[in-house]
Amino acid sequence: MKTVNTLLLLVLGACIALSAQARDKRDYHEMVYDSGCKTCHDQGMKAFPSDNSCLQCHDMAELAEQTKREGDEARQNPHDSMHYGQEAPCMECHGEHTPKKAICMDCHNFKYPKFKYEHK
Amino acid sequence: MQTRRSFLKLGAGAAAIGAFAPLTVSANSSDIKWDESHEIVIVGSGFAGLAAAVEAGKLGAKDIVVFEKLGVYGGNSTLNAGQACFANTDLQKQLGIEDSAELMVQDQLKSGRGYASEELLTHSAELGPYIYQLTKDCGCIYRDHIINTGGTSATRSHQVVERSGSGFIRPMLKTARSYGVKTKIRHKFEHLITAKDGTVLGIQVRRGYHFGHEESGEIINVKAEKGVLIATGGFGANVSFRQALDPNLGADVGCTNARGATGDGLIAMIAEGAMPVHLSFIQSGPWASPDEGGFGYGAGFSLYNFPHSVAIDRNTGQRFMNETADRKTRADLEVLRRDKEGNPNPALLIAPKHEAMKDPSMNNVLKYNVAWEFDSVDAIAKHFDLPLKALKKQIEDWNLYVKTGEDPQFGKRMNMSTGIYLTAPFIVQRLWPKVHYCQGGIQINTKSEVIAAKTGEKIPGLYAAGEVSGGVHGVSRLGGCSTPECMAFGVTAARSIMKA
Repeated sequence: MKTVNTLLLLVLGACIALSAQARDKRDYHEMVYDSGCKTCHDQGMKAFPSDNSCLQCHDMAELAEQTKREGDEARQNPHDSMHYGQEAPCMECHGEHTPKKAICMDCHNFKYPKFKYEHK
Repeated sequence: MQTRRSFLKLGAGAAAIGAFAPLTVSANSSDIKWDESHEIVIVGSGFAGLAAAVEAGKLGAKDIVVFEKLGVYGGNSTLNAGQACFANTDLQKQLGIEDSAELMVQDQLKSGRGYASEELLTHSAELGPYIYQLTKDCGCIYRDHIINTGGTSATRSHQVVERSGSGFIRPMLKTARSYGVKTKIRHKFEHLITAKDGTVLGIQVRRGYHFGHEESGEIINVKAEKGVLIATGGFGANVSFRQALDPNLGADVGCTNARGATGDGLIAMIAEGAMPVHLSFIQSGPWASPDEGGFGYGAGFSLYNFPHSVAIDRNTGQRFMNETADRKTRADLEVLRRDKEGNPNPALLIAPKHEAMKDPSMNNVLKYNVAWEFDSVDAIAKHFDLPLKALKKQIEDWNLYVKTGEDPQFGKRMNMSTGIYLTAPFIVQRLWPKVHYCQGGIQINTKSEVIAAKTGEKIPGLYAAGEVSGGVHGVSRLGGCSTPECMAFGVTAARSIMKA
């Protein structure tokens, strides 16, 4: 009985590892993966991470500064936009395991050349 | 699974009613396990919801919560040109514009084609100057210039400097929070919770909801001590729902709405026996461009330029409508512009650059390939394959109308374009309507109370305001007339709830 359980556990473990590997991953988050899934999945593995999860490492005000735009593009800053200020949660535009588009693109033909992993 | 579990949690006292059984929860209050309780529960963070939150805060409510389904606040209310028609404001007086609530209502009744509610329109128009001041008190900043929108007999569309609804939403959100209003994203309204006599006790909410992932998050029961305001907006983004009501509005028709405009609040209220009205009156925006998604920049460009520009059919090279007629008149005519095979052949809006450049929308449409500049009529005709002679004649004729102040072709009000001749260089944008606004919705009265279909009486504890309500505008709503109406009935709901 015990060996069966161990075997089961091994198979199960392998499945989980495989499913994690099969997913999209961002190379620059490698160190986060090393710390385990729950580093980001703070609400359990079956739920989306909370909107505070990314903010453990990232700071919205800093991001807003990094993506700052000038002149008539000033309010197209995706991290500090005219419509949503600095309040748009990361996952509205970014996906760790799935490609996504900035929500601005629902209505606008903006160019965000540095945006990674865009869903075409 | 989570829905069923929390449904069962209500115990033996829970009894579902009617044909919509799985959607409704009816129970004795004491049988329900409440996860949260608030004085006022507001569903939706657009104009109606936030105006209600601000007004209730002003009236001294201590515990107000606003639930937003999406990850961002404002819904459709943040995606528009930021205009609001008010009659009889100090700005109109400064600019020498004579106007009145009665005149505004008359304009709206005409566009409503016999279906609008004079009582509800009058209530909204009379609150206009109050709403104008309330938004200014919130920190909204209006332009000094008032703009003309289609179907109006006086210039009354006040516009915030952002030229976007976000110029209302951001300051109102901030003001609401300053009154202690709790605002929560990713909280999707699921159902009303009612007592056996039909009184609304609270709502079920899916907390931690991610749009498009219908099973995400967890169900909680939220008690409303004084009342529930449903301010969830329209259903323009719900293709199967809108197409069932208007077969012409399938997935191939564009839409200006936020993703969340799926009609959840409307459907839940119908399930509770509320009276649906005018659901098939769905409006398309005649100022939209097929060269970008959603509302975009094109709408702002067209809105500014319609009065002094011409809309041209590409087959004939001629005008086909009064460019400032009401929205339905224009959208219905625009969608008829087709090539020989019947495929869409969007009309061209031709604007004079010397006037278009006075509004920032011109730079935006040019920069993002929503409109293009041409040096001559010949260049336009060549690029878009138009009959040159006819187009030249049309533009000459139009300039004569500008001079004489009369448009014998379509009867356009020409005092909006006095002295503004259509001369090169030109800015040209394509026009193709997009689903924009649902005139239909749930019936309300002048207290923002929701009316029951069975009795014609109010449903106790339940209020609705904004696009989710119906019957106000009738067949077609005038531009800039939803924003003030959403806010007026939001304010009204807050007043009613505080009195209840």
